[in-house]
Amino acid sequence: MRIRGEAVALLGLAGAGLTFWLGMTWAPSVSIDAFKAPEAQRIFYWHVPSAWAAMLAFGMLFIGSIFWFFKRSEWAWRLHVASSEAGLATGLMCVWSGCIWGAAEWGVPWDWTDIRLNTFAMLTLLSLYLVLGRRSQPDGVETRDTFAAFGMYGFVLVPFTYIATRLWQIRHPGPVVATSEGSLNSDMGTVLLIGAISFTVLIIGHVMAGMRLTKLELRLEDLQTRYEEESR
Amino acid sequence: MSGQTYLIAAYLGMIGALALWTWTVFARSKSLESKIDSLEKALANDESE
Repeated sequence: MRIRGEAVALLGLAGAGLTFWLGMTWAPSVSIDAFKAPEAQRIFYWHVPSAWAAMLAFGMLFIGSIFWFFKRSEWAWRLHVASSEAGLATGLMCVWSGCIWGAAEWGVPWDWTDIRLNTFAMLTLLSLYLVLGRRSQPDGVETRDTFAAFGMYGFVLVPFTYIATRLWQIRHPGPVVATSEGSLNSDMGTVLLIGAISFTVLIIGHVMAGMRLTKLELRLEDLQTRYEEESR
Repeated sequence: MSGQTYLIAAYLGMIGALALWTWTVFARSKSLESKIDSLEKALANDESE
């Protein structure tokens, strides 16, 4: 049986909806002493999984870029295209949810002095450039090489973003999982885990569907060329 | 607007954006498949004539 990416994406979307419901109704509230806007903290159940999904997408973008650049693999180009779109969508989701929380908790949606905020925004802008750039340029080896090079070098920002709050914690909260300083309540951890799994499934579904879409686009271009040649 | 309402509106906006993104993938896939089908039929007709 062939599993369609669209079906996997729908499953992930349902899980994201479940995460929203659990985050709003089941997850415990945080201490009103620790947060200025304790209700807004519930956006954490979407913000963290969307950041995780964006990092996965940027990782896939790196793999696709490398294998296109050095091996000229068609699947790798399709992975590059699909993961840049997935990285843009989840990156925007993470930035948007972060701005909503920042506006409620800090009083400002963005802090230009915080390293993690800015490196993550640069990653999202990189995927925006790759998505818009590919749509405005004719397909060809040179075009693909240029975008693949951006995909490879842009990946440097991923580990940089990951360690940013450990090295220069300014305003963005530090890690709460996979750290000795973690203090996450077990119910909160469960909702966060459901969110992370759902967003992972969503991103995998979208990348699968996106790779198939790119294959269809290339097939259509090929057929159009043949049709035009035969019509002459 | 209370904090909770503001948060629900923000969440629903994001779910809507994700659903829209998923729907555009469906729509693009359907549109491409129908264009490919039409072109393949046209090319097959040309070859048989």
